[in-house]
Amino acid sequence: MLSRVADSLYWMSRNIERAENNARVLSVQLIHMLEATNKESADRDWEEILEVCASSEDYYELYDRLDRETLIQYLTISPLNVNSLMNSMIYARENARATRDILPEELWEVLNEFHLSQKDWQELPNTRQHTQDYLKKVITTSMTLQGVIESSMTRGTPYTFIKVGKWLERAEKTARILNVTCEKNIKETSVGTNHYYYWLTALQFLNGYDAYIKEHPPTMKSKHVLSFLIKEETFPRSIRYCMNHVMEAVYNVEGGKISHYSEDLFQMLEVIRNEIDETDIEEMDMEQLMSFLDHFQDRCMTVSRMFSETYYLIEPVHAK
Amino acid sequence: MLTNYQTGIFFDEMMQHSGEPKGHYQWFYQLVNQFSERELINKHETAQLNFLRQGITFTVYNHTGGTERTMPFDFVPIIIPRADWKKIEEGMKQRMTALNHFLDDIYHEQRIVEAGIIPRDLIENNPNYYQRQVANLEIPLKNHIFLAGVDLIRDENGEYRVLEDNLRNPSGMSYVFQNRYVMRQVYPELFFQHSIETLEHQISELHQSVISHAPDNADSSKAPTAVLLTPGIYNSAYYDHVFLAQQMGIELVEGRDLSVKDDVVYMKTIRGLKRVDIIYRRIDDDFLDPDAFRPDSALGVAGLLRAYKKGNVSILNGIGNGVADDKAMYVYVPDMIRFYLDEEPIIPNVETYFLSDSEKLDYVLDNIEKLVIKNVGASGGYDMLIGPQSEEREREEFKRKIIEHPHQYIAQPTIKLSRAPAYQEGRFYPCHVDLRVFVMNGKEMNVLPGGLSRVALKEGSLVVNSSQGGGGKDTWILTERGDKDA
Repeated sequence: MLSRVADSLYWMSRNIERAENNARVLSVQLIHMLEATNKESADRDWEEILEVCASSEDYYELYDRLDRETLIQYLTISPLNVNSLMNSMIYARENARATRDILPEELWEVLNEFHLSQKDWQELPNTRQHTQDYLKKVITTSMTLQGVIESSMTRGTPYTFIKVGKWLERAEKTARILNVTCEKNIKETSVGTNHYYYWLTALQFLNGYDAYIKEHPPTMKSKHVLSFLIKEETFPRSIRYCMNHVMEAVYNVEGGKISHYSEDLFQMLEVIRNEIDETDIEEMDMEQLMSFLDHFQDRCMTVSRMFSETYYLIEPVHAK
Repeated sequence: MLTNYQTGIFFDEMMQHSGEPKGHYQWFYQLVNQFSERELINKHETAQLNFLRQGITFTVYNHTGGTERTMPFDFVPIIIPRADWKKIEEGMKQRMTALNHFLDDIYHEQRIVEAGIIPRDLIENNPNYYQRQVANLEIPLKNHIFLAGVDLIRDENGEYRVLEDNLRNPSGMSYVFQNRYVMRQVYPELFFQHSIETLEHQISELHQSVISHAPDNADSSKAPTAVLLTPGIYNSAYYDHVFLAQQMGIELVEGRDLSVKDDVVYMKTIRGLKRVDIIYRRIDDDFLDPDAFRPDSALGVAGLLRAYKKGNVSILNGIGNGVADDKAMYVYVPDMIRFYLDEEPIIPNVETYFLSDSEKLDYVLDNIEKLVIKNVGASGGYDMLIGPQSEEREREEFKRKIIEHPHQYIAQPTIKLSRAPAYQEGRFYPCHVDLRVFVMNGKEMNVLPGGLSRVALKEGSLVVNSSQGGGGKDTWILTERGDKDA
């Protein structure tokens, strides 16, 4: 497979996953906001949303203050935000368009259909209902795309590149959401009653509430939630689950053989696996957890870079 | 359904002057008559949506960049009886054989120039003549034209005439397949009892043609590796490229995916470099190799020409074909057929005047409102004047341009392009049509049965180009059984 094609598949997948995750976070937040008792608490959480879904630095370069409506627009359809849902979906479509010859026809059609309807969304008035419908559309589009991938792609190299992109993006997002939640937890540690709400929100952001509650009937202990979202081997958005699957995918691409060019990548994945295994969440305080999560996010970036290097996704290939 | 349909002074593909359908359209006419108006509208809309949803688009360039558009589809097919098609097929093979001889000749001995048949000037001053780059090169099968898209029209007597030979990067073949596909989805009834030539094997014919061009130095113990080289997603014909690469099962590459090392071409894969033997390129000559052509080209591959000259890679269509499909050289194609094949042309040209001929120039300036003026270097319906449909101001502008650069323009009488019914916005009306026929050549020559019928959907318009609002129709060649049914 061409390196450029592999790169496009990897980024198509990351962009779709990013759009889905951000859409879910925003959707959950918009519902929570309705239940908030006063304006202060309603506005309180937007700073975190910005941190999870985009870059606050980029935002404040454009705007002086955090205005809710501006932020919603910024995160959904703003052309100025590289991580806006609209941009992520446009990038995903361009990536798919450049690899159309090897993707299932339906995958392209689903992405293209979203693109065609997106034009209409931009023209609709910016009401809460429309925003929610749009977020829903992003989420179901992503899920449909994954269905197409799972049900019609052979488990070859293109499939693997798509999956690695998705898992890395997911693992990173989970770490990011937990990081923001921990930070908030430390900041507001005096107000004990809110903790339940924070961890519940984190679970909802990651679509893990239902799964968690089956394991831990109605309790919301921070240790349980953290350990569920970091270490639960069977939950498909936990950090461990995602990283195990990245490893397995690379292993499959290499046919189980570790060659000289893939050695560094394997080693790094091994290191990360050990780091996750050895982390004792029950014993860690919030600060330690935060530094663990920070460190893990750095690791994700390293893996992404090494993965790209191993398969010549970024470096030009020189003839030997 | 066609109650108020007027054929007028034009040759109509489907209807007779009497208002009755022609023999080979009889059954189609009867079937469509059974559809209700609602059904027709629904089907029409479903067909358009199909193209949009699948993203079967071409890109229209404008000042703000490119806009993706689908080619409007019209469901009334152009039906061609077997005997007519046989003649077209033979005419195309004859024409392509002669043009291929011509290309080989002018990059070698130039016998046709020596014989005084084509003025040396016309060749040597042609911007698409790449003597310096490819003279005296021996290429696989001596074949310069792997794929041609020849535009045919019918005049007021129904006679087919060649309007243009596209020997560089003819596009539109994907639409032929997609039109047929959508047609079968949306109008299955029409296919129920009719025998029309299938397109099923055509892609494998095309693939065979590609593969038969293996270069001298390819490893003959292995199947050659072929790729399709595209300028990328912003090219107007990108969908065409995707479709052909996908259907032939060859890699779709961009210039940046290729590199040349020791005069061998490689593509960059996730496992390192892989040797490429045959490149079906959809990039113009000028952009192929910054070392040999335009140094500012970012689409091409440095060193490609050297690899080509060494016989390490094949390039399809050949480099330098543009000299033969130029609007001025077109005039000489009948002479080429006589010179190289000693035959009379089966399908004639459209009468054409050179404006560099001062006698003709005077005639053209006096009669410009009756003529079509074309820039010899332009395509896609750009820089042309259709006399009878022009305004005084435009005519004056063209006169000025012609006087300034008479070599740059040719003139043709306004042909009464044939028409066929089109169904748009709930009604049938007559529209001008033409037909792009695709000829594939490798070890053997093969004409795709049918081709892309293009239709000028704007009432009265003569311009069928998709970039100018033209649409597409399916083209049916009746099989022998189909002929009897008709």
